[in-house]
Amino acid sequence: MKPFTYLIPKTLDEAVSLFESHEGRSAYIAGGTDVLIKIKERKLLPDYLISLKHILSPDRPLLNEDTKELYISAFITHRTLERSTLVQRSYPILHDAIKNIGSVQIRNTATIGGNLVNAVPSADGAIPLITMDASVNIYGTKGMRSIDLIHFFLGPGQTVLEKGEILTEIVVPPLLPRTGSAYIKFGRRKAMELPLLGVGMLLSLGEDLATCLKVRIGLGVAAPTPIRAFSAERFLKGREVNEQTLTEAGQIAAEEARVRDSIRGVAWYRRELVGVLVKRMGLKCLKRAGLKNE
Amino acid sequence: MTNLSIVGQRIPKLDAAEKATGRSKYIQDVTLPGMLYGKILYSKYPHARIVKIDTSRAKKLQGVRAVLTGEDIPAIRMGVYKDNPPLKAGKVRSYRDEVAAVAAIDLEIAEEALNLIEVTYEALPAVFDPETAMQKDAPLVHEAHKTNILKMPWKLHYGDVEAAKKVAAHIVEDRFSATWVTHCCLGTSGCIADFDHDNHLTVYSNTQIPFLAQKDFLGTLKAMGLTDRRVRVIKPCIGGGFGSKLDTYAYEHVAILLAFQARKPVKIQFDRKEEFTATSTRQPALMDISQGCDENGKLLFRDIAMILDNGAYTSWGATTPSVMMMPISTLYRVPNVRYQASCVYTNNTYAQAMRGYGNPQATFAIESSIDMLARAADIDPVEFRRINANQSNEVSPQGFRITTCGLTECIDKVVNEIGANDPKKKGEGVGYASLIHVGGGARVYKSDGCGTLIKMDDYGKVDVFTGATDMGQGADTVIAQLVAEELGLHIEDIHVIHTDTDVCPWDVGAHASRTTFVAGNSALGAAKKLKEQIVKIAAQALDTDPQQIELNDRKAASREDKEKNIDLGKLLRKTHFSPGGNMLMAEYFYDPDNENLGRDFKGNLSMTYTFGTHGARVRVDEETGKVEILNYVAAHDVGRAINPMLLEGQVYGGVMMGIGYALTEQVQLEKGEIMNPNFRDYKILTAKDTVAIKAPILETTDKDGPYGAKGIGEPGCVPTAPAIANAIYDAVGVRIKDLPITPERVLAALKRKEGVDSCGIDPLTEKAYDCS
Amino acid sequence: MPKKITFDLNENETSVEIEDHWTLIYLLREKLGFSGTKEGCGSGECGACTVIVDGAAINACLYLAVEVEGKTVLTIEGLASPNGDLHPMQKSFIENGGIQCGFCSPGMILSATALLKENPAPDDDEIKHAIAGNICRCTGYVQIIDAVKKAAQPETEKVKVVAWQSDSDT
Repeated sequence: MKPFTYLIPKTLDEAVSLFESHEGRSAYIAGGTDVLIKIKERKLLPDYLISLKHILSPDRPLLNEDTKELYISAFITHRTLERSTLVQRSYPILHDAIKNIGSVQIRNTATIGGNLVNAVPSADGAIPLITMDASVNIYGTKGMRSIDLIHFFLGPGQTVLEKGEILTEIVVPPLLPRTGSAYIKFGRRKAMELPLLGVGMLLSLGEDLATCLKVRIGLGVAAPTPIRAFSAERFLKGREVNEQTLTEAGQIAAEEARVRDSIRGVAWYRRELVGVLVKRMGLKCLKRAGLKNE
Repeated sequence: MTNLSIVGQRIPKLDAAEKATGRSKYIQDVTLPGMLYGKILYSKYPHARIVKIDTSRAKKLQGVRAVLTGEDIPAIRMGVYKDNPPLKAGKVRSYRDEVAAVAAIDLEIAEEALNLIEVTYEALPAVFDPETAMQKDAPLVHEAHKTNILKMPWKLHYGDVEAAKKVAAHIVEDRFSATWVTHCCLGTSGCIADFDHDNHLTVYSNTQIPFLAQKDFLGTLKAMGLTDRRVRVIKPCIGGGFGSKLDTYAYEHVAILLAFQARKPVKIQFDRKEEFTATSTRQPALMDISQGCDENGKLLFRDIAMILDNGAYTSWGATTPSVMMMPISTLYRVPNVRYQASCVYTNNTYAQAMRGYGNPQATFAIESSIDMLARAADIDPVEFRRINANQSNEVSPQGFRITTCGLTECIDKVVNEIGANDPKKKGEGVGYASLIHVGGGARVYKSDGCGTLIKMDDYGKVDVFTGATDMGQGADTVIAQLVAEELGLHIEDIHVIHTDTDVCPWDVGAHASRTTFVAGNSALGAAKKLKEQIVKIAAQALDTDPQQIELNDRKAASREDKEKNIDLGKLLRKTHFSPGGNMLMAEYFYDPDNENLGRDFKGNLSMTYTFGTHGARVRVDEETGKVEILNYVAAHDVGRAINPMLLEGQVYGGVMMGIGYALTEQVQLEKGEIMNPNFRDYKILTAKDTVAIKAPILETTDKDGPYGAKGIGEPGCVPTAPAIANAIYDAVGVRIKDLPITPERVLAALKRKEGVDSCGIDPLTEKAYDCS
Repeated sequence: MPKKITFDLNENETSVEIEDHWTLIYLLREKLGFSGTKEGCGSGECGACTVIVDGAAINACLYLAVEVEGKTVLTIEGLASPNGDLHPMQKSFIENGGIQCGFCSPGMILSATALLKENPAPDDDEIKHAIAGNICRCTGYVQIIDAVKKAAQPETEKVKVVAWQSDSDT
């Protein structure tokens, strides 16, 4: 690798000012599983790597008991999230996704913030969060700002982060009662996969446990950035959720998706998958919403 | 057979502890003092003239000790067709072409030097499809050959296929295809070349063919003007073979040339990307097959024509037809066989040996077609196979003398274990496929032999020097077990050395699943000779008739009077340290009594043949086309399991490799460029993809194998693809004829079956998606 | 600019001067002579370079050496006891056919060891999940999973490793 100097700030301010003072020649690094590969491949050639791993921050996801918001520090590893009983119990869509990202070894080092900032279309980390209407906090020279995660991504590898800004925290708003959520990563093998397609879904049901009060459908690898299937969501809202309506929602979502051919998969097949997987995730959400209510 | 104490036992691999503690030294771990690091510059075009190479800046870089291009080297030609120089001059014919090489004091400088080499290319029209390359107006890959079709003799006709076609009651005809896949050894390729003062050469290489490599390197030295030199090939621990090291590679010859130029040892070590892009693949194949049977389901003929994409240069891939002939002529009894294969140059990568050596490809076509024929004849596919199963003591049309054959027993075993009659849920199906493979060596060279030297030391411990190669499959352990059993020793008393051509006797190489049979028989022969010597001196020492001497538990004892016994170490010391003393040593070269194939390709290629049947129970997700394997049974007639644990390891490993071959693996080439040279996009299966595999072992005790054993290294991956394809057909009624059987292919086939041609309209183009 | 780091390497306090851009695998193999950790891909996709840092299995090819300051690192060379007794996981791999060419073995054994520390009685799925990031081409994983399962079972009898015995066996 091209040599660099490794700087270890202890606070966000220190990190940001280090970035500024080495303007144009520095990059942030958290877990390193993406950044080091980029440096090895000569796609990134910083003289300074500013580590974000030693900045004091919460070491696990935290639920605000009053607001019921979930706060996830961006510097938490995927493994911490995977093993969090809070996430397993109350945010199963996130657990579904996180536990299959990379490998145990990758998840032990890679941070959720790094995952989001890397902004790959496969977006295993982003889709479940977008599906839960998450927002992210960003810190920079101008202080802190907040943005809905769905607007965070501009294109493959591109986010709204300005130079020197750091993604610090993910905030998940409270879930309605009778909510079921699920994520599926469709791949050719069962591990170490970048998905052919990723579908995250959230359903909040009425007291009859059948009418859809709120629905979110997140799609990964269905467009250059993670997207929501807004038309499909509009179709389902207010309707009874069953196999038939879910099938139709899936068809609408398939038409909304902007899939393309790549060496990992062809467009027509991805489109097919959107329809099938939206239906299946919807059924899973139904089941999980029902179970939770007991 | 008398009670055996070591043969047949689940003995751990001899070097497992070394490997488990990180002590084993692979080529990655070997360094020599003053060693330089070599790197190779590859072509930027699939087909281009090299107009100019300017290496001046590279040569000037501090730390660079040698720079070579194709113009700087003598005429060295690799490969069976001798069309492949280690550094290309004049033109490049694939992205994989080696254009220049540097040696420097460290890796970073070597890489930087590569970046400083300026190559000017003039792009030429390229051809990436073998059928196109066969046309008259196709761009010529090797102008001197005037055609892209290699002069290869792959043509045979036994009996009269045309006559058989006229009388067949049922005929099926189809095209099958198999694409490139690759070995994915965890230990990447590498070597170190080191000359001594007199220009004798030592090459450290993770080769499977130390002695043929030695010969190749001697050829290189000769071309360099270094005649009458010695070449020593030393094998460090090998991090996986599977056939990938069955030929010598450009990087080995390049290392030699660099080392000679720089007067220092040069190491070339591939990284993973190079391992994908610059080592050779399995041979792809386009296979047109037709088979026919009579009213009772007896096979009447098999007619196959193949087109093989030979890539830009020729390695063992072009000879796979010689092995494909084996299942073509002898898998099941078929009296009339016709086969023809064309090897065609293209600007793609090229193939060499890979586990099965053409057998998996041919068996995919044959066994898929058998299933289709059975159904056309309205006969149960299992019954069809039983009707046509090979039997013991038969001679096939190709002249293969089948001695032991447990095929029918394997079929029955699989049917039993796979739960053939269990109720099938929606989308579930069961499929079968059988295999034949050489099990008693394979005479593909002037010799199929292996030599062994054995000596016993003053402590009763034995050193076995074998020409065989262990690359993880367990050759070392099997040899030790055979020797220990013969000499009445414990397994830990046997030390097996197989790593050095200076010390070990000749062997043709680790291929054709021949090591247990040939190296085993060789070691057994040497051990028997040593035993004779031991028995003779023991009889003297114990004052007994030699016929009474037994070797057991590290002792020589009289059978009739157990009180008369002597510790072997003591016996050896007595023999050594007495007037006229001597050491105990023996040697034995075993060359099996098999035959080279004749001009008509007839001949008994192997002394015995390994048979097997695989069964797969699958579930097809009809909405996504995804295939899940619920249960897999791989039954093999192995003659005798010398070490059941290691044998199972070969079967499990072969089956998983075969499942990858069937469902997920492909080297994706786009206009000659490999688009997935990494483990992320080359879908080698992970631990989570394992399936429930049973590997029943059938022992038919072959009369020629050591303790009755046959080879098993390759069979595990031979019939997996057709077993799975047949199961998919059984499940959902679609026949996938192209490997890998991806979910896309299955879904597209399911849709076509429902009469759905298009896979939806693309909203951007408003045209139908091409769901092919 | 070189930096000095101090860390626990296989239960030995180790101080060494490093460069910031060195990966942990580079430090271990090229500078400290611990060649048991293998590089299979250099990009975190094969797990051959797995070592255990502060109890967690990580890919040494994507871990900066500078980050082990103050931490505990366990490589394959440190798994056996100082007196040479093999770790139960090593024994189990040897006894159950979990090692063929052996290139993936150091990483595989360490991944499995890290699993058992966290989860002493894993089922098949949990084992597969833990070693999903360790690619093996030779074994087809079957005997590896078997080895891990058997290592997790309590030793009811002394498991005799035929190829190796320590003095304490007599």
